Order: sequence, then structure tokens, then C-alpha cells
Amino acid sequence: VRPLPNIDGANQPFWQALRQREVRVQRCKNCGAHRFPATRFCPHCRSEGSEWQAVAPTGVLETWCVFHRAYFEGLAVPYTVIQVRLDCGVRLFSNPVEVETDTLCIGMPVEAVFEDLTPDITLLKFKPRKERP
Amino acid sequence: MTMLATLPHARGNEGMAGRESVAVVGVGHTRYGKLPEYDAYELGLWALKEALTDSGLRFEEVDGLIVNRIPDYQRFCEIAGVNPSYVSITPGQGRFSGICIETAAALIRGGLATTVALVYGNNGRSGGDRYGGAGDTYGSGGGGQWSAYGMTSPGAFHALMARRHMELYGTSADQLGMVAKTFRDHAALNPAAVMRSPFTLADYHASRFICEPLHLLDYCLINDGGVALILTSGERARDLAQPPVYVRGCGMATSLAESSFPPDDFWREPMEKAATTSFHQAAIERADVSTLMIYDNFTPTVLFSLEGFGYCGVGESGPFVAEGHLALGARYPSNTSGGHLSESYMQGWALNLEAVRQVRGACGERQVEDCAFAHYMAAAPVVTSIIYGRDAS
Repeated sequence: VRPLPNIDGANQPFWQALRQREVRVQRCKNCGAHRFPATRFCPHCRSEGSEWQAVAPTGVLETWCVFHRAYFEGLAVPYTVIQVRLDCGVRLFSNPVEVETDTLCIGMPVEAVFEDLTPDITLLKFKPRKERP
Repeated sequence: MTMLATLPHARGNEGMAGRESVAVVGVGHTRYGKLPEYDAYELGLWALKEALTDSGLRFEEVDGLIVNRIPDYQRFCEIAGVNPSYVSITPGQGRFSGICIETAAALIRGGLATTVALVYGNNGRSGGDRYGGAGDTYGSGGGGQWSAYGMTSPGAFHALMARRHMELYGTSADQLGMVAKTFRDHAALNPAAVMRSPFTLADYHASRFICEPLHLLDYCLINDGGVALILTSGERARDLAQPPVYVRGCGMATSLAESSFPPDDFWREPMEKAATTSFHQAAIERADVSTLMIYDNFTPTVLFSLEGFGYCGVGESGPFVAEGHLALGARYPSNTSGGHLSESYMQGWALNLEAVRQVRGACGERQVEDCAFAHYMAAAPVVTSIIYGRDAS
């Protein structure tokens, strides 16, 4: 069995939004900074008020690595992990789709791909984004 | 008060602009490897006995104690039969070796203790510690969020940083391999090292990937073992068994906000800050340093450290190590014990022990000539920088 995310905790709105093909992260009602995973207080201004806001499902690739050692049953190696910074500033680890690992490069524009894993769980993955003319 | 000048105490106040000098006066360690018959407490106590013997001090003379990676300070004091005036406990992360040493110096200068024992015990190998997978607690434990994508382990965290360094600066696998190879060559001269057989760059490339771009030989060695250091005031140090090794400079800085992700600058900003503070305190320049002890949990950390602590320019660490500057006999012999990569992963402790022995001139075959200053540095979300010197000022 592959590792599954906890979709019922403080990040529940994030996981529910992925089912709707949306990327939703926490936004501070005071300073407007986005954050994920969820925290009660904003790490930038320490305010408590926040809302879950849909953000652009686009970002850039910051770096990547390829796992050859298996740490989890159910995840076949090799597989690639990418680090993405969404345009709203939030960082995520994820996996690339529709791209060969040896063509990845830092700063590559990426966009969300919503991958249904179970009837309840959708993962947020990324593919290269074609720049619009 | 003219008689004050004749008291030994007055000489202890030389050095850093009136700051009292502090010295390491005892070091000790266990065997490193697989030691299933000892738990972390016992490994720590074994090392402490060695360190006290080395210093010529008795258990009763230790009035400060900080334990690291040992699960409980009270239990440790029970089995060691000690009642220190000051006691503390620190988590089992490698960044805490430097923190403990800097704290001990501050305790002594601040008068909370006169003689501090730092005791580290690690039974990670026999205890089956795993760095990655379910229950990964690296850093803040924030990594547990990402296991659905297969992201886990400190090794992968550093692989992500290494890849970024390669892409930004053209750093190569050969250059990472050179770090591992150089430290293994040093380990061949260290009877305490766990891995002592030299290898070639071809062997390095042939070793399997764990998390690409990092090979097996880019990773430190998880083992059982213990290390202890004894620190006291410079004044007291002069009467003890070993030549004092003075803690001439300490610096510390952090990059903890957003630290579930690798830092954009490879921790350069906190390293620059910590380096500046420590060099200022020591009143020396990098050119005065004889040997480097670089926290080498993974080979790329060595590259980041050389840049952040100012031994080479930003992005130039790859060519710098490929030119051979870290080897014994070269300009900055580094990790002369073999370090975490080849001696054993004692989380910074054994590197500090090696720094002390180099400054004492007690390293035998691997001794750095005329070793006046050794610089220990650790690049991590908590950066520490410690400069050891042969002279009090």
C-alpha cells in the first residue's frame, strides 16, 4: 500500500479543493500572504484570521531529485520528486507528469495536473506549461 | 589593587577584548561501528570516562553537563552517579554539537559552571534508526506531509540542493566524488575510522544511486558510538593533563523560517553571519586557519560550507574541491579523520574532537603541520562556526 495523505486534518480544504480541480491554500486575512501546510497563525504577521483561497494552478520548477532507494512500499523506484513554487509563493513537493526527467530545468514553468488516486484522494502533480503566445 | 596583576586569574582574561578564555581540556570517544550491547547512555558514559581520563579531571570536578541524543538527562546522571550544578539536554540532531560547545563556553564565561562535560551517545545503528520513510522526522518533521509523493529523508533534501547547485553553477558529480574520495583517503590514516579502504572516482560513479544525484558514497555512515568533550576556563586549563585547546571564536545563526524546504541560498546568509562573528572573536583571518572540520552529512554540504564560510567564491566550490585543496598536505586539509562520510556519523562531535587533536598536534600520521587554528563549521538550518586555537590569544 502506497503512503496516503491525511485528508481530514487541518489541510482538509486543500484536499477537498483538489477533488474540484482547484488549488486552494490558506491566505492571511491581515497581510494577504499565502501559506501551506495549514498553521493557526500567519508566519509572516502572526495574525490568526485566515481563509482558504483558490490560487493560480501554475508555478515554476525549483529543483528535483530521483529516488532509487525505495522508502515506501507501493511506490516503485525510480521516481522523481520535484520542488515547485506556485505563483502565489507557496512551495510544494510533488511529482512531474508528461515530461522526461532529463529534460527538467530550473525555472521551468509548470501547471497543475489533478491525479485521482482513490475515490477520496486526488494528488497535485505538475506538467510543463506551454507559454501562451 | 596592584596585586591583582600577579594573580593567575588576571592572565586568564587575556585574549578577546577582556573575555575570559575557555578551553577544551579533555576529549574521549568509544569505538565506532556496531555496538549492540551498549545503549546511548552507556555509549555516552564510556566516552565521558575517556574524556575525563584524558583531561586528568575527576567526575566530581564536573559541575556542568549537557547531554545530546541521550534520551534522558536524569537517567544519565543516575547511571553516571553525578550531581552537576548545571544540567541540560539537547535533541539528537547534528546541528546541536556546535550549539552545545558554544553554550558550554557561554556557561563558563557566565559563571554558571566552571567545568562542563558535553556527552553524546548514539546507538542509531543497532537501534535501527531510519532516515526516511514512514516516521521521517528530519528537521521540523514537516516532511511527513509529502510522503504521498514519495518525498522523504534528509538525503533527498540534500539531493534537491545538490541538483540546484549543479544547475546554477555547473557543479559536477566528479566534484562531489572528489570530496568523498579525499575524506576516505584521510580515513585510511585513522585507526578509529569505520571505512578505511581508498576508492577511485570510477568506484564512486559505480556506487549505486540512493537519491540521484547522490550516490551511496555521498552519504554519511550510520553507526553506534559516543563522544565527550570537557571544557573549562583558560585559567583552570593550564594546570591539567593536556595542552589546552582554546575556543577562540564562536558564531551561530539560523535559517529556520520556511525550513521544511531547502533554502534558496544554500544557507549562505547564516553561514556568512556565523563566520563573521567567529572570525571577529578569534581576531584571525581565513588565511590563518590550518585545517577545516566541515559537517559532512552529505558531500554537497561540504561545497555549500566552503562557499558560505568564505573559503571560496559563490558557485566556485566544485572546482575548488576538484583542485585538491581539502587533502592532507594541501592548503586546507579537511576532515582529517575521514569525517562523517568515512570515520563515522557522530553528528559533528567527532569532527570537533578531531579539531582539538589537530590543534594539540596529536594526530600522528594525519597531523596537519604547525596546526595553530582549526575551524569547525556546520551548514544546516542552525549554522555553527567554532574556531579552535593553540594559544589563548
